[in-house]
Amino acid sequence: MVSPYFLLGIGLGLAFLLGLLGQKARKSSSILILVALFSFVGISFSWLWQFLQENASVTQFFSAGFKPPFSIALQVGLHEAVLTSMINVMGLFSFVSLWRNMKDGNEKLGPILLILFMGLNMLVLTRDIFNVFVFLEITAIALGGLILFDEKKHARSAGFKYLIASALISTIYLLGAVLIYFSNGSLYLDDVMALNNMSPMAIVAVFLLILSLVLELKPFPANGWALDVYQGANPAIGAIVSAAIGSTMLFLLYKLMGMAAFMQEFLIAVGLISFIASNLLALVQKNANRLLGYSSIGQIGLIISIIGLKDILGDQFLFVAFMILITHFLAKAGLFWLSAMLKSDELKAWSVFRKKSVLLVLFGIFIFALIGFPPFPSFYGKWTLIINLAETHNYYLIAAILIGSFLEAIYLFRWLGYAIKVDFTEYDEVKINWEKLIPVLTFGALLLASGLYMAHLMPGIEDITLWPLLFILAIYLLDFLPAYIKNTISIAALAYFSFIILPPYYEKDLLRFIFLGIFAIGGILTLIAGYAYKGKRRGFYPVALLMYAGLIVLIQAETTLSFFFGWEIMTAGSYFLIIRGKRSMEHGLSYMLFSIGGAYAILAGLGLTFAQTHNIDILSLASVTVHAKLIFLLLAVGFLTKTAALGLHIWLPGAHAEAESDVSPMVSAILLKAGVFGLFILMIAMGKNPEVASIAYILGWVGALTALVGNLAAAFQEDAKRLLAYSSIAQLGYILFALAMMSHLGWMTAMVYSLNHFMYKAILFLTIGAVVLRVGTHSMYKMGGLIQRMPLAFIAVLVGIIALSGVPPLSGFAGKWFFYNAVLEKGWYFQGAIVFFSGIVAFLYLFKLIYSVFLGQLKDNLRQVKDISIWFAIPIYVLILGIMFFSAKPEWVLQPLSDMLTQWYPNTSLSFDGLYINSNFGYWSGTGVMITIMIMFIVLLLWLWILSRKVVKVKQFNIVYSAEAPQRPETTHVSYNIFAGYYKALGWIVAPKISELWNKISDFVVSVAHFGRMIYTGNGQTYLVHILAFIVVTFLWFLN
Amino acid sequence: MLLSIENIALASGILLILIGLLGALTNKNIIRMIVAFSIFDTGVNILIVTFGYMPGRTAPIIDGAKVTAQNIAQVAIDPVPQALVLTAIVIGFGVTALMLVFALKMHEKRKSLDINDYTDLKW
Amino acid sequence: MLKNSFIALLVLAFGVLLFHGVVKLYKVPEKLNRTAEFYNSNEASQIGAANVVTAVVVTYRGLYTLGEVTVLFLAASVIGFFLKRKKKTAPVDAKPAGSELMTTASKVLVPGSIILGVYVFVNGHLTPGGGFQGGAIIGTAILLLALANPTYSISKKVFHWIESISGFVFVAIGLAGLLLAGGFLDTRFLPNGEMLSLFSAGAIPLIYSMIGLKVGSEISGIILELNDTQPNQD
Repeated sequence: MVSPYFLLGIGLGLAFLLGLLGQKARKSSSILILVALFSFVGISFSWLWQFLQENASVTQFFSAGFKPPFSIALQVGLHEAVLTSMINVMGLFSFVSLWRNMKDGNEKLGPILLILFMGLNMLVLTRDIFNVFVFLEITAIALGGLILFDEKKHARSAGFKYLIASALISTIYLLGAVLIYFSNGSLYLDDVMALNNMSPMAIVAVFLLILSLVLELKPFPANGWALDVYQGANPAIGAIVSAAIGSTMLFLLYKLMGMAAFMQEFLIAVGLISFIASNLLALVQKNANRLLGYSSIGQIGLIISIIGLKDILGDQFLFVAFMILITHFLAKAGLFWLSAMLKSDELKAWSVFRKKSVLLVLFGIFIFALIGFPPFPSFYGKWTLIINLAETHNYYLIAAILIGSFLEAIYLFRWLGYAIKVDFTEYDEVKINWEKLIPVLTFGALLLASGLYMAHLMPGIEDITLWPLLFILAIYLLDFLPAYIKNTISIAALAYFSFIILPPYYEKDLLRFIFLGIFAIGGILTLIAGYAYKGKRRGFYPVALLMYAGLIVLIQAETTLSFFFGWEIMTAGSYFLIIRGKRSMEHGLSYMLFSIGGAYAILAGLGLTFAQTHNIDILSLASVTVHAKLIFLLLAVGFLTKTAALGLHIWLPGAHAEAESDVSPMVSAILLKAGVFGLFILMIAMGKNPEVASIAYILGWVGALTALVGNLAAAFQEDAKRLLAYSSIAQLGYILFALAMMSHLGWMTAMVYSLNHFMYKAILFLTIGAVVLRVGTHSMYKMGGLIQRMPLAFIAVLVGIIALSGVPPLSGFAGKWFFYNAVLEKGWYFQGAIVFFSGIVAFLYLFKLIYSVFLGQLKDNLRQVKDISIWFAIPIYVLILGIMFFSAKPEWVLQPLSDMLTQWYPNTSLSFDGLYINSNFGYWSGTGVMITIMIMFIVLLLWLWILSRKVVKVKQFNIVYSAEAPQRPETTHVSYNIFAGYYKALGWIVAPKISELWNKISDFVVSVAHFGRMIYTGNGQTYLVHILAFIVVTFLWFLN
Repeated sequence: MLLSIENIALASGILLILIGLLGALTNKNIIRMIVAFSIFDTGVNILIVTFGYMPGRTAPIIDGAKVTAQNIAQVAIDPVPQALVLTAIVIGFGVTALMLVFALKMHEKRKSLDINDYTDLKW
Repeated sequence: MLKNSFIALLVLAFGVLLFHGVVKLYKVPEKLNRTAEFYNSNEASQIGAANVVTAVVVTYRGLYTLGEVTVLFLAASVIGFFLKRKKKTAPVDAKPAGSELMTTASKVLVPGSIILGVYVFVNGHLTPGGGFQGGAIIGTAILLLALANPTYSISKKVFHWIESISGFVFVAIGLAGLLLAGGFLDTRFLPNGEMLSLFSAGAIPLIYSMIGLKVGSEISGIILELNDTQPNQD
């Protein structure tokens, strides 16, 4: 094993020598430094190799030829090898990114950087307590110098504040080191760790040491000086501080905690407080570097508390800590390096990255990695952490971690939204130099690679879940191809799935077959509509496929980890799809926040489950005994955020309405079913548990009210897509209500409604979307009379609204029939009445939809519009065929469904008798009804056709209307606010009280953040006072 | 004994630490803050040296007469605190020098040595 | 005023805590702890330096010294980098010359101090003193020189060269210890010689001389750079 003293020798020797070379040999000195940094990386990697491949054992290298404690020892173990590898790679890339800065007369910068990284290596390797002090000071002075080089506006005062804070903190450490020596005669770490009974002085000494290391890690609130460093220095330096120095200090803390088990609770408390407070205060930041500073402090706080949780986490500790550390390390460095490419410090300036899409993608990768989405390492780390905390009953800690993570998600996604949507013309063009690009690209790639590798290793994630991700990566690389090629590839992939992987499920698991069918077939159909778009449609296909991949993984999952994995991936893909809409920035954000909140609820629920069952199988939910109510509630709430139940629905109208024309059917018809599937699984697993019956009853009410509010709100909309969005909310309320009944008939209702909703909502959204593409507006009152120009669209919408309304002969009636049977059987008459009433209200908006858009008078500006695009028409009519088929021969679908449901609800009153379906309350024949009505329809149609031969055609304005002869279409086609009367009577039900509630909550949080940030007054001396106060308070707390 | 050497040394060390801290936290002038830090460092160094004190013993330097290679373990004090203090003093010097230069450059830009004037980065 | 009294209270609290946590627990030790025991008893035979503290600083715990030297180097580099931004043309006649007392005394003191400094660091292993102390003395001498004779321009380049070379040699000696003797900074690759003679204690005199030169040149460099950056007006 290479001696670590070579690191020391090369680093210092070269640094000293460089003083000789001076100004003229600048280029050669830069190259020499590069070589030295390369050798550092080489040495670290050689150690890593030896530990991973050759099973080397931990070695201590003594100095001066004597053994410790009489000399100083450096230890090289697996942990040290990993940390030094990380640090040295960071050093290499930092130097590369600063290459250009080296040239402008900054020849001292190189040696300082070299010594800084050598010092960080030593901090990781040393086993001598006083040696740590010496190298801490080296780090401090080197950093002080690095802060200055850029001559950014406030670098000097930031550097000074840093120096004085650092001076105070390191002196505390010095005191601790001296006391350790005095109390037990040794400065060797292993000696102190082996102490059994520590004398009081040793305890004080250890306390001081740990306290000073915690202070170095910038705990809240004694961290004002740190924020100024992040804001005042060049972002490349911020990268070094956050990633390299942060990781080193954390490792140092971990090392020294070996002798300080009594301080673990302190670490947990300080760490979590910093995590939550920093993320809270970050909400109101506008400066990108300062924001990254807050985020760094927060993440480091989380890792501090994880270090404190070492004993609780047991043998999972290293895994959790490392996963979160490596994500923080790679993502933060990447973000700071991205920041270094921009001239402006503002958050919105990052929208310039849209010009070079690879940078935007990298930005997205870093953000998603920080929040803990799969497939990044932090996902597995957080999952394992939550599971372990649940097992040890630390529920408050789980809540704290999830709250802090949620706050982080808020500002990070808002930032991403700015980058994707904000107009960038007022910001400077970003010049991409190779030396700035290479580090960012490498770290982004490393993040992805490490995540995918971890997925491969994790028990509980089947390898099959990774293939879609790799496929998506390939599609991304092919993004330069025209849209129709990518569309074909995507459809081919989904078709492969549908025809190869899907069919076996029919026998295996019909429930999954149905949902997979909805997602896959629905995917193909909605993608066909994509052919209508010309050009390249950059960025659409990777994210659309991401969403579908997530859906597929979700359904196929057999472990809770895979389930959650699929859930998050689906959310990520759908977020990007939604935010593509022109006015979608805020809707994308609110969608994401609700999704993440729901995801955390699910995570908490699954964690609590694991704590009891110790089994990551999905069906283990069935064996939950303790906290069943809580788990059920958490999981239900999580799924309901996806189905937009009342209270959690405010994101949906905006998100679905503002999305692109072919995205709306994807998210409304298809994506919402993911939540339904989740609810199904939940009910299947936990339905028999007697404790959940009361919650199910409440869910029934929620479903009923959702249906009512959704349908009423839809009636008052002027925007066609919003109308359909509210209608979706209502339909899902029906499904929720039906599920909550927990009976055979109830679940039949739910399944039938799900299938139907998928079909008719897809038809309606596709058609209206196609119409919008032609007409150029969402507002219904601006349309009218389009039946003349778009007969295909008219027929489609007509079929759609008949199906939705539940009027026979179309399939909606099947749903209604089962619904009435189920309600009568269950006895939920009052809720049933509400749902029935809301079904009638649905007629209002269905009528409004078809009347305002297609009937009435054609407006002048629309006289030349073409019919809807053929590419939209194809999927629409395929779906219409589906509805027709289902309506004509319902028993082909219903019988297998009924049989499937008997495995959970064996006693059913349903019986299938040829063409008739019988229940306790009556019977129905879908085919019979269809034939009857078809005959009536054809007879009437023929009769009208015959009559119309004798008809006289009249011009559009050959009418007299209330004794006036109008000349303009607007005056005869009244469609604006036609339900004003109903609004007066019932409008109070749909007043946006829930939106106001959520707004009040978010305003409150923001005001707390504004209040909190005031402690950072900017005065360096005040920060010193904070530090001293922190010391005194902690000391006092410990004395007790 | 209350006025023994070690008590006096400890007391003066702690006193200097407190004076230094007070000075650093209450003075507005940056140069005075730096001087106060210097006092603070000195106090800590005095504490360290005190921890090496052993009554009746002499310095660990072999001179062949009073202290020989044979009896040194009985008549000389611990050499380690001396080494630690040496390091600490030098490091303190380095930090102080750097702080002073920072103060110089801050003054150059803004013509003020009052720390309250440097609060641009905040919140 | 309120703020200051709060701070005073805080500092007082800290003092009380220090008292409780440190002073009250302090007991004068009766005998040496095992590390000190080891050092004192074995140093003469192992390292051969008369000044045990020097042996501890340079050999046993030489890594501290390496760190210190690095700290000074960093401080000097940062200061040098920071200050060189200033224009070099400080009007020479704007600086007042030292008083006659100072200039006369400096003629004697400066060379004497320099010799004293060299003596201190060369004999670091024999008498109290060493590289840092010697270097500080030399630095003070240069300061006196600069104050007394502001027109006398001392070549900073020389100091840079001395600084770099001495530092490099120090590291080289350390590596030599790794390769030729028992470990990094093991000074025993040169013979221990006879106790109390100048050429004893292995490589320690060499190391301390390097350190003395380095520290002296660094401090001098800092002083000279500060000297050169007089503001243009007043």
